[in-house]
Amino acid sequence: MANYFNTLPLREQLEQLGKCRFMDSSEFADGVEALKGKKMVVIGCGAQGLNQGLNLRDSGLDVSYALREAAIAEKRQSWKNATENGFVVGTYEDLIPTADVVLNLTPDKQHTPVVKAVMPLMKEGACLSYSHGFNIVEEGMQIREDLTVIMVAPKCPGSEVRAEYVRGFGVPTLIAVHEDNDPKGEGLALAKAYAVGTGGHKAGVLMSSFIAEVKSDLMGEQTILCGMLQTGSILCFDKMVEEGIDAGYASKLIQYGWETVTEALKYGGVTNMLDRLSNPAKIKAFDLSEELKVIMRPLYNKHQDDIINGTFSRVMMEDWANDDKNLLGWRAETAETNFEKTPAGDVEISEQEFFDNGILMVAMVKAGVELAFETMTAAGIIAESAYYESLHETPLIANTIARKKLYEMNATISDTAEYGCYLYNHACLPLLGDFMKDIKTDVIGKGLDLEDAGVDNARLIEVNEALRSHPVEAIGGVLRGHMADMKKIV
Amino acid sequence: MDTQNSLDGIRLENLTVNFDEKFTLCNIDWTIEPSQHWVITGTNGSGKSALAAILAGVGEITSGKIEGVPNNIGLVSFEAQAELIANELKKDDADIMDVISLGTPVHEMIFTDCLEPELATELVEKFGLTSLMDRAFRKLSTGETRKVMLIRALSNKPDLLLLDEPFDGLDADTLAMLQAHLASIIETTPMIMVLNRFDEMPDFITHIAYMDKQGDSAGQLKYTVNRQDDVAYNELYQLLHLKTTDLDVPEMDESEKPPALDPSQPLVKLTDINIKYSDTVIVDKLNWTIEPGKHWQLSGPNGCGKTGILSLITGDHPQCYVNDIFVFGFQRGNGESIWQIKQYIGYVSTSLQWEYRVSTSCRNVIISGFFDSIGMYSRPSDKQKKIADEWLALLGMTDRADQPFNKLSYGDQRLLLIARAMVKHPPLLILDEPCLGLDDMNRQLVLALIEKICAGSETTVLYVNHHAEDKIKGIENYLAMTKNNE
Ligand SMILES: NC(=O)c1ccc[n+]([C@@H]2O[C@H](COP(=O)([O-])OP(=O)(O)OC[C@H]3O[C@@H](n4cnc5c(N)ncnc54)[C@H](OP(=O)(O)O)[C@@H]3O)[C@@H](O)[C@H]2O)c1
Ligand SMILES: [Mg+2]
Repeated sequence: MANYFNTLPLREQLEQLGKCRFMDSSEFADGVEALKGKKMVVIGCGAQGLNQGLNLRDSGLDVSYALREAAIAEKRQSWKNATENGFVVGTYEDLIPTADVVLNLTPDKQHTPVVKAVMPLMKEGACLSYSHGFNIVEEGMQIREDLTVIMVAPKCPGSEVRAEYVRGFGVPTLIAVHEDNDPKGEGLALAKAYAVGTGGHKAGVLMSSFIAEVKSDLMGEQTILCGMLQTGSILCFDKMVEEGIDAGYASKLIQYGWETVTEALKYGGVTNMLDRLSNPAKIKAFDLSEELKVIMRPLYNKHQDDIINGTFSRVMMEDWANDDKNLLGWRAETAETNFEKTPAGDVEISEQEFFDNGILMVAMVKAGVELAFETMTAAGIIAESAYYESLHETPLIANTIARKKLYEMNATISDTAEYGCYLYNHACLPLLGDFMKDIKTDVIGKGLDLEDAGVDNARLIEVNEALRSHPVEAIGGVLRGHMADMKKIV
Repeated sequence: MDTQNSLDGIRLENLTVNFDEKFTLCNIDWTIEPSQHWVITGTNGSGKSALAAILAGVGEITSGKIEGVPNNIGLVSFEAQAELIANELKKDDADIMDVISLGTPVHEMIFTDCLEPELATELVEKFGLTSLMDRAFRKLSTGETRKVMLIRALSNKPDLLLLDEPFDGLDADTLAMLQAHLASIIETTPMIMVLNRFDEMPDFITHIAYMDKQGDSAGQLKYTVNRQDDVAYNELYQLLHLKTTDLDVPEMDESEKPPALDPSQPLVKLTDINIKYSDTVIVDKLNWTIEPGKHWQLSGPNGCGKTGILSLITGDHPQCYVNDIFVFGFQRGNGESIWQIKQYIGYVSTSLQWEYRVSTSCRNVIISGFFDSIGMYSRPSDKQKKIADEWLALLGMTDRADQPFNKLSYGDQRLLLIARAMVKHPPLLILDEPCLGLDDMNRQLVLALIEKICAGSETTVLYVNHHAEDKIKGIENYLAMTKNNE
C-alpha cells in the first residue's frame, strides 16, 4: 500500500491540509438521531474504545464490542473492560456482520490487519469509523467502495473523554469524512451524530480532513505534548539533583509542576501562564524560551517534514516490523531514568511555588507550544487545528504525568504518539546539552533571588507585547470562548 | 449556690437544672472568663432564657456544679419583668379595704436603694421617662416597664449584667442609645445577653453560646463559639438562620420542566438486581420500588452496595444496562440517554463534592443543577440566576454568591450541593451520606435543610447513611442492606 497523501498532487495536498472549520453548535441540532437504533460495534476496548463506548451508550446508542479471539479466550484487560461494564462482547464473526457502524479503536499500527480482517464481514453500505487517520492517510488503506468512512477524533486521552462527558460536557473533537468513501453522502451526518454521542459537540467540533488530522495530530503529540514534557522532565530533574536539590523535592516539582503550570494555559494561554510569574521571572522565562526556540526550531521542522513526507510513519512501521526494537529499547530506557525512579517527596509545594521555582519548565512549555504551532501553520495546517494539537492538549497530557509520571503518559497515549515521543526525546536530549550547562537553580528548583529584582520597564512592555501578539494567543482566545468553564485540578 | 466575686470567672460543670419539672437543662459545661461578653442564642424552646436564669439563681440543680456567680447581678428579662409586675399587683391585694392603691411610683422603683442615682437620672432622661416619674409602675406599658428595669439594672453597679432580649420592642433611637451605653461600660461590666437575632448582636460581644432542643422539654448548650473564629461564627450564623427563619423552598423554573411523570407509576422499580465486580457479587437479587411521595432511608455497612444501587438509579453505574431497571417511565437500555434520566433526579454525595473541583462561583454551582452538570457549560437564563440567588438567601450565603466554590468550607460546599440538587425540584432527591465528613454543627445544618425539603416540597427523598439510627423526621420507609457475604 502506498502513502495516500504522497499520491495526491500538491494542489490537493494543500487543499486537504488547510481543511478545517469550526462548526456552529446549531449544526448539531439533530443530536444522535442519525445513529439511533443503529448497531455500533467497537473493535478494541482500550483507552479510546472503552471510554467512547461508555459515552455513546449513555447517549442512548446501541454499543457492543468485537474483540480478537485471543483477547476473549485469555480474558484480557480489554475483555474485562467491556464485560465488567455490562457490554455485549463477541468475536468479529459474531458481531461485525450485524454492525451498521464499525468503530476501529485498535492501535494504529494494527489497523491494516484489523481492517483487512473485518472488512469482508461488514454488511453492504455500513460505515467504518476511525479516531485517527493514520491507516487511511499514511498507509493508503483502500476501503470497500460501498462502505462509508468517517473519522471522529477526540482531542484528548480516553480518560478525559469519559470524565468530561460525565460532568455534562465533552472534549473538543475533530471530525472528517473520507471523500473517496462516502457513497451515500451520509458520512457527515453520521460523524456529527457520533460526536454528539461522545459529548464532543459541547466543547467544539472541527470539521477537517483525514489528512489535516493526521499531519497535525502526529506533530503535536510527538513534539510539545509528549516529547517536550518527557525531555523537560528528565533534564530538569537531573539538573536539580546535580545542583544539590533534594531528589524528592525535584521529583515532586516536576511530576506535579507540568500540570500546575499548564493549567494556566487553559484559562488564558501562554500569556496567562507567564503572567503567573513575577516580573523578573517572567522576563527570565521569556528569554530562556527564546533561546530554546532557536535551538529547537530545526528539530520541530524535521519532525514536521518527516510527518508530511511520510518518513515518520515509514520508520515507525519498519521498527514495528523489526519487533519494535527501538520502541521497546526506548521504553525500557525511560523506565530507568532517575526522574522515573525517584518518588515524589513528601513535601508541600504551593501552587505559586510551582511557577516560581519552575521558570525553566514554563519556558519549555512556552517554547514548545509556540514552535509546534508555528511549524504546523507554516506547513499549511489551519490555526484552529494547530491550536488544539498544541496548546489545548498540553495540560491534558500533563495530567497524565501527575498521575504516574512518564510511565502513565506513555501508557495512555496512542502507540504512534509513544513512538514519536521517544523519537523526539532521543534527539532533543543531546540538542539541549549545552543549553543546560548554563542552567542554575534560580530557574529550576529554587527560584530567582528577588533581592535585586529590578525590572526594566521598557523590556517588560516589550515582553508583554510579544507574548500577547503571538498568533496562538489570538486563535486561543476565540476557541477558549467556546469552553465556558474549566475545571480546577490542583 | 456558691456566690463570690466574679474575678475568677463563672464555671458551670456538667450542670443539670430543673425548672418546675417542666423543663430541664442538661449537662451544661460553660466557662465565662471575666473579660468576656456573651450572647446566648439558639432555636425556640431550647432553653436560652433558662440558661441565663440559672445564673440569676433560678431552677433546681440536680447534678453538677456552678461556681463564681457574682452577688450583684443586673437582670432584665420578661420573666423578671412579669414577676415585678405580679409583685406590684400583690401589693395591691394586700392593701387594706377600700383605699385604692396607686402602687409604687416609677421614681421609687428606680431610685430606692439605687447605687448610682446620677446615672439613673441621666438614663431616665435618655429613655424619655422623665414625664412618667410619678406614674404608678403598674400603669406603665410593657415597653415602659422594660425601660425601668433596664435603668434599675444599669445604675446599680452590677458585677454582671444579664439581659434577656433587652432590645425587644425598643424603637430605633432608644435601641441605638442603649447599645451605645452598653458599649461604654464593657470594661467594667461583664455582660451576658439572650438574643434571638444575630444581627442585633453588639460589636463588643466576644463569645456566643448556642442552645438546642433535646426533645420537647429539655435543652442543652450545644456550641460555644469565639467570635474571632470566622469559620465557626459563619456556620453558627447559617445554622441559626436555617433553624429560626420560616423559609420557603424557592420555586422552580417552570419553562425548563422535563416531561411530566405518570403519577400512577413508581419513580423507581428495581427487579432482581445484581451487581458484581470480577467474581465478587456485591448485590444479589435485590428488589425495590420507590413510589412517589414515600421518603426512604437506605442504610447498611460500608461496602454493602448502597452507592452501587444508587448509581444504578442515577445511570452512573455501567451495570445499569444489564439489570432490570425502570426509572421515571424508562425501562433502561432502550435508547434513552442518561441526561433524560438525570433530569428527574437531584443527587448529593461526598464523591460528587470530591469531583466538583471546578473553580466556578457559588451561584454557578447552584445553577449547574438545572443542567445536571459539574461546572457550567451553558448560559443560564435570568430566571435561573434569580432562583439560584433565592437559594443562596435561604442558606444565608447571599454575600458569597460570587466567591469561588472551592474556597468555601467543606460544610458550606455540601449545603450548596444540596441546593444544586434541589434547584429543579426533582421528583427524586438522593442524598448519599450527606453528613459524611461534616462536623457536628455542619451536620445540624444539613439535617435542618433536609427536614425542610422533606416537609415542604413534592420531592421524594432517598436518604442514605450507614447508621440506621440516624433518622430524619418525615421518613417512614427503611431499607437496611447487609453485606452480601454476611
Ligand atoms: N490514546 C489517545 O490519546 C488517543 C486520542 C485520540 C485518538 N486515538 C486513536 O484511537 C485509536 C485507539 O487508540 P488507543 O490509544 O485507544 O489504543 P489502546 O489503548 O492501545 O487500545 C487498543 C485496543 O485494541 C485491542 N487490540 C490491539 N491490537 C489488536 C489487534 N491486532 N486486533 C484487534 N484488537 C487489537 C487491544 O485489546 P487486546 O490487546 O486485548 O486485544 C486494546 O483494547 C487509535 O487510532 C488512536 O490513534 C487515541
Ligand atoms: Mg493521537
